[in-house]
Amino acid sequence: MAQIQKSNSKLVTQHYLGETIENRTIYYLQISQPSDKTKKIVWMDCGIHAREWISPAFCQWFVKEILQNYDSDPKIRKFLQNLDFYILPVLNIDGYIYSWETARLWRKKRSPHMNGTCYGTDLNRNFNSSWGTLGVSYNCSSEIFCGTGPESEPETRAVVQLIERKKSDILCYLTIHSYGQYILTPYGSTTEPPSNNDELVHVAQTAAAALTEKYGTSYEVGSTSSILYSNSGSSRDWAHMIGIPFSYTFELRDKGTYGFVLPADQIQPTCEETMLAVTAIIDYVDQKYFPGGAMMLTSGSLGLSLCLTAVLTLIVP
Amino acid sequence: MPGLRAALPAALLLLSSFPPAAAKQPPWPWVPGVMHALNPSDSQASAAARTALHYSNYHGASPSRLRALHQVLKATVKAIPEVGMKYYMHFTTEDYITGEDAGSCLATVLYLKKSPPQVYIKCTHTQDKKQIHEEDNRFYQYLQHRKKPIIASNIPDSYGNIDRDHLALWGLAIAGSSCIMWERSREKLAYFVAQVKAVKQWIRKDSAVEFEFMILLHETPTQKIDLCHMHLIWILGHPLEVKYICTSDSHGLEDGSGQDSGSAAGMFHGKEGNF
Repeated sequence: MAQIQKSNSKLVTQHYLGETIENRTIYYLQISQPSDKTKKIVWMDCGIHAREWISPAFCQWFVKEILQNYDSDPKIRKFLQNLDFYILPVLNIDGYIYSWETARLWRKKRSPHMNGTCYGTDLNRNFNSSWGTLGVSYNCSSEIFCGTGPESEPETRAVVQLIERKKSDILCYLTIHSYGQYILTPYGSTTEPPSNNDELVHVAQTAAAALTEKYGTSYEVGSTSSILYSNSGSSRDWAHMIGIPFSYTFELRDKGTYGFVLPADQIQPTCEETMLAVTAIIDYVDQKYFPGGAMMLTSGSLGLSLCLTAVLTLIVP
Repeated sequence: MPGLRAALPAALLLLSSFPPAAAKQPPWPWVPGVMHALNPSDSQASAAARTALHYSNYHGASPSRLRALHQVLKATVKAIPEVGMKYYMHFTTEDYITGEDAGSCLATVLYLKKSPPQVYIKCTHTQDKKQIHEEDNRFYQYLQHRKKPIIASNIPDSYGNIDRDHLALWGLAIAGSSCIMWERSREKLAYFVAQVKAVKQWIRKDSAVEFEFMILLHETPTQKIDLCHMHLIWILGHPLEVKYICTSDSHGLEDGSGQDSGSAAGMFHGKEGNF
């Protein structure tokens, strides 16, 4: 596991998001270059679904890349002039641990229902975006059980509370899943396209093209309802509906050969290529909202104060 | 008229120009009897292509030559009233295990309400037929001559590892599972092999090769993982004989027709692959 915080502590702070149903603390990392400016925010969460192991791996990789290359990569420093990154490496911590220790293909969280005879709400059907209408089940035993009501789960509420509070500053919401090799645009809950559909698709296509450059991996771009399947209550739909303009779901490698059990030797290539796609999106967002082109030379590390060391408490056997 | 053309032999239909598509595509329902073009990235087009490949992988009876969908090039669909939805596709494929280009296919898939879909599929060959025969033959001889039965589990394991010795076995499991996946595919239900949980060989005195598998299938869009107990008999050059029962076939189990607990000695009742 990456020892993120130890060597690159200048930019990273750890923040409390909430607690899981099994009382584990959920942290997110804020990557922020100290400055007087108010920044806009790029949010990325991983690990909503327990068995999609490549997803938390990517969040960790992303943080590592940003911190490791901060000094050497002017593009990263440029992003961080105006953008803060909020990264949630594992939202469904209980489920993730359960998939490592007990059932590799577990998907949902581990909330007990019906006196402990049935477990788990699908967090990605639990958000308040046409909750409970399409592509869900009201039965706890289903893998797409949407919960007892919108935001019935503490994990969902924790994310919602933070994002609601900061939504006027959040430009980009990314949520990482597997598998399928898709960059998905809103919506899953309706075929009605979002107001900024053309732009969303264009940016996603640019991102997919950047990804393919690395190893030839091909990703498809389109709305969830047209290229995947209909579903309501997803976090990505909710994020766009409350006004976050650039909201995407990533479904990482592969296309079904290994599926959830992606081989270890594909972790790094997957992370590397996905990094190119995510930075393409961030780049676009940065250029759009902070035009004025030429990269300003910051005073580099001179202007940075050492922030507190973040201790990331991801649990990985 | 498209309706009349559908009555011609499938080969002629496919070899002739691609059926004309209606200019505009209504969201729902499809106008019966009229061809509607689909966006190649439409989920229905990919699902139908995969259904066709399950059929092909099963009937190919070759663990060394399995295809996965690479990309849909063109797809149209037609509603046949009282019968079902028929998809016409042209798509490219890749080798299931290596990812290498494996040629392209033309296929039709007719989804029925309660029976397995009717599939016609024809693919180009980019892989060396001779090499495939040799690989299958080598594997077959190896299995046939074993005195001790192969017993293995978790292919791939939780970390995606597959022992090199188990790669061909994985291929055989996928070929057999493709029977299950083809038969169960519906217009709105698709399948992938998530993991081979367990495999046990039964040593035979005759020339056939016999195995029992526990297969985990990933079903979309329900996201369910279904456990299937599959019994497979392979005679080289012959169609695979597959019998199976899955935990989702619970009504079958209530009749006392066998355990799904994975005991290798359990009796199975299930659908026989037919061809």
